[in-house]
Amino acid sequence: MPIVTDSQRSATRTQVRQAITQQNRHLPSIALSVTLLIAVTFTLLTLFSLLARIVTQAIPAFSERGASFLSGTIGSEPDKVGIWPGLFGSFAIGVGVLLIAVPLGIGAAIYLEEYAEQNRLNRFVVVNIRNLAGVPAVIYGVLGLIIFVGWLKPVTNGGTVVAAALTLAILVLPVVIITSMEAIRAVPMGLRDAGYGVGASRWEVTRDHVVPYAMPGILTGTVLALARALGEAAPLIMIGAITGLLPETSLSGKFTAIPMLIYSWSGRPDSSGGNIGWSNAAAGAGLVLLALVLVFNIIGIFLRNHFEAKRVGT
Amino acid sequence: MKFKNWALVATCALALPLAACGGSDSASTPDTTGSSSNTDGGSVFVTGSSTVEPISIKVGELAGTDDGGNIKVTVEGPGTGDGFKKFCAGDGDITGASRPIKEEEAVQCADAGIEYVELAVAIDGLTVATSVNNTAIECLDKAALYALIGPESEGFSSWADANTLAGELGSAYTLPDAPLSIFGPGEESGTYDSFVEFAFKSIAGDRGTEVIARADYTASPNDNVIVDGIESADTSLGWVGYAYYRAETDRMKAIAIANDEGVCVAPTDETIADGSYSFSRTLYIYVNKAKAVENPAIGTYVDLYLSAAGVEQVVAAGYVQLEAAEQQSSVDAWTARG
Repeated sequence: MPIVTDSQRSATRTQVRQAITQQNRHLPSIALSVTLLIAVTFTLLTLFSLLARIVTQAIPAFSERGASFLSGTIGSEPDKVGIWPGLFGSFAIGVGVLLIAVPLGIGAAIYLEEYAEQNRLNRFVVVNIRNLAGVPAVIYGVLGLIIFVGWLKPVTNGGTVVAAALTLAILVLPVVIITSMEAIRAVPMGLRDAGYGVGASRWEVTRDHVVPYAMPGILTGTVLALARALGEAAPLIMIGAITGLLPETSLSGKFTAIPMLIYSWSGRPDSSGGNIGWSNAAAGAGLVLLALVLVFNIIGIFLRNHFEAKRVGT
Repeated sequence: MKFKNWALVATCALALPLAACGGSDSASTPDTTGSSSNTDGGSVFVTGSSTVEPISIKVGELAGTDDGGNIKVTVEGPGTGDGFKKFCAGDGDITGASRPIKEEEAVQCADAGIEYVELAVAIDGLTVATSVNNTAIECLDKAALYALIGPESEGFSSWADANTLAGELGSAYTLPDAPLSIFGPGEESGTYDSFVEFAFKSIAGDRGTEVIARADYTASPNDNVIVDGIESADTSLGWVGYAYYRAETDRMKAIAIANDEGVCVAPTDETIADGSYSFSRTLYIYVNKAKAVENPAIGTYVDLYLSAAGVEQVVAAGYVQLEAAEQQSSVDAWTARG
């Protein structure tokens, strides 16, 4: 005699079908999903209204000036200024930060994850690196002013783009180290064990397996760090970025960067004389900065996909 | 080998600062001004007051053309105090100042062996402003301003709150019972320094109070924010540089200032130039003598600054030119620098 009768079975079946197909009438669930939807909508609306404002404000700067807005130099007339010195400065800072912070950051992360012993001292070091990621940018500006502009003047030649790149590299270094450490920690232990099993040294395992496998995660962190470095104005104020007049750009001379120009231009009077006011010029500079960050991001994403594809292939 | 690429990148990172410290200024700016820069006129670095900065920029733009001598002028404006600090440390050929050099700053310069020439270049007026909708207030005296914005006015939220204090100080004005919202530049600004000096110094001296503004007003380093604030409330009160007011006359109403005889004087180009408007100050540039001897570009730039073309830039930047006699004495001081 069966324990469950046919009629019982069919009743259960109907119940289950109802539970799956019927509308979810659980009130707290509905309330939660509505709240979450509002949160997403609010965030997106803020983002899009900001973007829309920047784009509409920037249109006069580009439509009237065209390429000369990119190649011109800074000055006193909003309808004649260009952002070349800022573009040069921001690009050089971006490249400098990549060249300094990425090797140092990945190196430190590999050491802390693969080589360092799990003792009290090293845990203390890691905790401190995490804390450094939360230090306000202007504090790094003070550090840069004292160390890179002051003490290391023979190397950086004072308040130059080199000093700025060094300062911002130090600023983003904790972020690069932390994200790289997370990525390396996520590498399956079996990968290392297999390497050691066939007689590879720790150096060979790290070089050929751990770092390539962790690369997509490391690159994500790098892209975020770079975007932060390119958007910072506060440390550059401390280092002495120029916003007045800068007829020549070089690695060893005075410099400026796009965030500084946005900060300075948005504070100048918008007299109704010309077609392009300072607010248009500032919005135009903002758009160029967004584009610059996007270019660096695309390179980062391209590299990440490259490494990810490789990972699947192995 | 993938890691060799990384090693290469790391090496480049170390080499970057070294390569950059070569010192030669390899200009990579595309020529945008249309002037041919085949003749290099040398370069000048101007620091100092952010108030003088717009004039220095305009004269610098002029100096960058063929007619001006193709001089590459770099201008920054960290502030009068910061400017003197740099200038007296030997950094910067010229520094702009919205007040004469202070004694301790002069000592710093002397200690560092830096000799300078002081040249008056323009006059800047401060404008005390309110909303264009405010018809009740046309003119105020120093006593009323001290009672409204001075160190003893903290907590006053209506204009009328200041009446007792204003009366005590002998003000000729009775203030209306209307909400008081105050907007101005913060303490770091030269415009703040000038305002408290013009408006409060004499009264604060008599009363033994500090020469500062009340702490509870809306302070911003951004002039546009101040103008927005003044425009936003019908009975607002605030102060900005005269150049800024002149660019935004349709958004603010200037309040005339009663002089010591009780006569109301509104800020205009004329009243500021002849000195009858009391809230105005002279702007200066300080030139490093030794550097000017070493680098002829500095001389060319200062000559241009003091020439008729330079005075045009003063006006274009929104400031008021000096009286002819004072302009001449600046030119004389520059010629006699020795």
